[in-house]
Amino acid sequence: MSWREAVRVSGVAFTELALQAVFAFRQGNILPPGRSTNLVARAHRRVVQSKAVISFVLAVLALGGAAIIRQKLLHPTILGAIPSGLFEGAVLTGLLSLDVALLWWTGVQMVPTLISSGVLAVLEPLPLDARTLYRVAAILYLRMFDMPALTVLIVTPAAVALALGPLAGLAVLPGAFVAVAYALALSLLTGRFFLRRVQGSRGGGGRAVVRWAYLVLWLVPAFAMFAFITAAPAFFHALSILASQGPSTASTLLASAFPFSFALLPAIASGGAGSTAILSPTGTFALAASLFVYLALAVWSVVWLAGNVRSLLFVPLQPAVALPGTAVKLRPTGNARAVLTKDLRIASRTPGYAFLILLPILDAAALGLLTYATPTPNPVATSLALGAVTTAALLATFFGPAFFAIEVVAFSYGRSLPLPHRSIILGKVALITLMYLIGAGLILGFTLLRLFQPFTFGAFILAELPAVVGAALLELGLLYRWARRRGLAITNLYTGAWFAFVVAIPGLVMAGLPPLLFELSRASGTGFGLPVMAVVALSELALATPVAFGRGVS
Amino acid sequence: MASGTTANDSVPLALDQLSVAYGQRPAVQSLSLTVRPGEIYGLLGSNGAGKTSTIKAIVGLVRPAAGSIRVFGINALRDGPEAKARIGYVPETSMLYEALTPREFLEFVASVRRLDAETATRRLQNYAEAFRLDVELEEPIATLSNGTRQKVLIIAALLHAPPLLVLDEPLNSLDPRSVRIMKDVLLRYVGSGGRGVLFSTHTMEVAEQLCHRVGILDHGVLRGEGTLELLRGRVAAGDASLEEIFLRLTEEDVGVAAAVNSLGDNSV
Repeated sequence: MSWREAVRVSGVAFTELALQAVFAFRQGNILPPGRSTNLVARAHRRVVQSKAVISFVLAVLALGGAAIIRQKLLHPTILGAIPSGLFEGAVLTGLLSLDVALLWWTGVQMVPTLISSGVLAVLEPLPLDARTLYRVAAILYLRMFDMPALTVLIVTPAAVALALGPLAGLAVLPGAFVAVAYALALSLLTGRFFLRRVQGSRGGGGRAVVRWAYLVLWLVPAFAMFAFITAAPAFFHALSILASQGPSTASTLLASAFPFSFALLPAIASGGAGSTAILSPTGTFALAASLFVYLALAVWSVVWLAGNVRSLLFVPLQPAVALPGTAVKLRPTGNARAVLTKDLRIASRTPGYAFLILLPILDAAALGLLTYATPTPNPVATSLALGAVTTAALLATFFGPAFFAIEVVAFSYGRSLPLPHRSIILGKVALITLMYLIGAGLILGFTLLRLFQPFTFGAFILAELPAVVGAALLELGLLYRWARRRGLAITNLYTGAWFAFVVAIPGLVMAGLPPLLFELSRASGTGFGLPVMAVVALSELALATPVAFGRGVS
Repeated sequence: MASGTTANDSVPLALDQLSVAYGQRPAVQSLSLTVRPGEIYGLLGSNGAGKTSTIKAIVGLVRPAAGSIRVFGINALRDGPEAKARIGYVPETSMLYEALTPREFLEFVASVRRLDAETATRRLQNYAEAFRLDVELEEPIATLSNGTRQKVLIIAALLHAPPLLVLDEPLNSLDPRSVRIMKDVLLRYVGSGGRGVLFSTHTMEVAEQLCHRVGILDHGVLRGEGTLELLRGRVAAGDASLEEIFLRLTEEDVGVAAAVNSLGDNSV
């Protein structure tokens, strides 16, 4: 069979992949009503839109990097202390790192979908020869990355050419190629790991830790940009110190590190090796050697991908080793706790839900770190920390309604159980509260390292707590009533996404009002901020409780 | 025809004039039946006859258009949780929490059923041993075969030792050994304590072996009900199998030969 046949077959398989990725009906989601041709068109459209968004972000990063280099957008004091070549190399290091992170992030999310969709398993029994199957697998894999990868390979050199000239644009091409190759290989490796050790993970506490650790990794690339921007001043400051010392062992190590080595190439192409001011003859040799090793590794990654993509995509969902059974024990709990535990267990194997739990917590950690790292006077740091707690409260309540979507899976079976609606709502409220408390706790921890005001921050977190619980009760109560009136499966993205967003608005108002009053009180210098906040939050809780547990819900 | 109108507390299940409709389309029409204490009642019917709709109404997944459902005298439409607490249910399709392991899923069910740890663990271990479930209990449900999922659902239904079992095609996907175990479990189950089983199937052989009485459902209407002997008498066929009785009562016997002939040799 020819490549043409493989392209044709992969087109059909990609349609199935798009349907699975968008509608996930094999995972128990309900297909929205409509003609199948319309659903297929919608799935294709959404996949293209998603790729276009990622490509747009990559293009903006490349053009933004080029603008920073061209306009020398950096604090004049630091800029004056860094040689131009080193400055350009540092900016391009950030750009290439973000390229790897974003492509890998795309792969980490999409490869498990490709493998678990069973698209290729359907093709196996068909009268297609092994070579065609291999080609189909390769095409499918590449199609997941096509638009973003091409953006990195085309827009990045073009942007660098605009900033530093055509030769520099060509010189960044090896770095762009290596970034794409590494991201594609890492995606396949981590995708397999996800299916074996996360989605296919057996029960048990130790394995749960591995699952959550992976899910944090799944999220970290999304924070790469935030972290880069946050860490950029410190990074440039360190470079200025390094440059002032001239060529050294540290600068040689830096020049040999990926992707710094590739990022230095355009700088050298435009201004010569001297423009970096950190390269001795030994450093130049180390740079050349590291480039050779990284390129060889990238070529090997491509060869490895080409040779193994088919077998690697056929990962059996069963764990690699069947462990002998031990005496299984059941530890029943109360209803609400059972709902909470179930949701956490489901989230630990489902990145979509884990994302909703981890995002507010990671965001809180990042904001806490920012509060700790920002060299500002105490009152400003205090405001930052209190604002961070408020953000944690708002994020936790904003994502709350999405946790009802878990109930869509096995919804029929769940309704056949004598599980009161109160327990379901209480379980979800407990999850939202837990997210808020962990997030606020992280901020508190970081803040205490800088400003030792445990009473102020502890009191603020506790005063806000009833508002968070009230907001969660209000949102979930409204959502439950709405779904019940329409006889819907509580909610999922297609039946109730708009309502899930709408109910978040009063929830956000409820969670945001007490901190707002606190700030107003503080600004007016009355000193009653915390008592006012606590009274309002408790009143909100009292108002919201009947919405969740009153008449009309059960 | 069973009356099924009693509110007697000892009657596991009584349906009275139950009707279920999906929009304008009726699925079950004025169905009345009773599952007596110590009885396995087989609900027979072709695909789309209304068996699953009836069962879904009993376990609270579908709101009936009319009629009543009583579980040990409890009005299931009014006091849903009380009725559900007395029912063990095996659905037709295994839409479970795919991201949980069977142990995690059964722990959730045991929590909702308010079982203590010792009882829940003991029962799980007994059923797991009987159905030869071992390493599967700790693997995500998404990775399990249909047969294993079915075993998990059966254990979930039996875990709280309910006085009424409502089983929708429970033997689907099970291996012969597990089918045999399930049959024996059901026979022993109803042999003590006034329990009852409502069992839907379209496999006549199973119903003939297992059920004390059967009800034959066709297009949402109960065409006949009773013991095998009673139904034989009704269709005036002294040695007819349940399959023949079923086909005659649902008037589906007429087209069978013609349908087979129309397939011709190409069907082989």
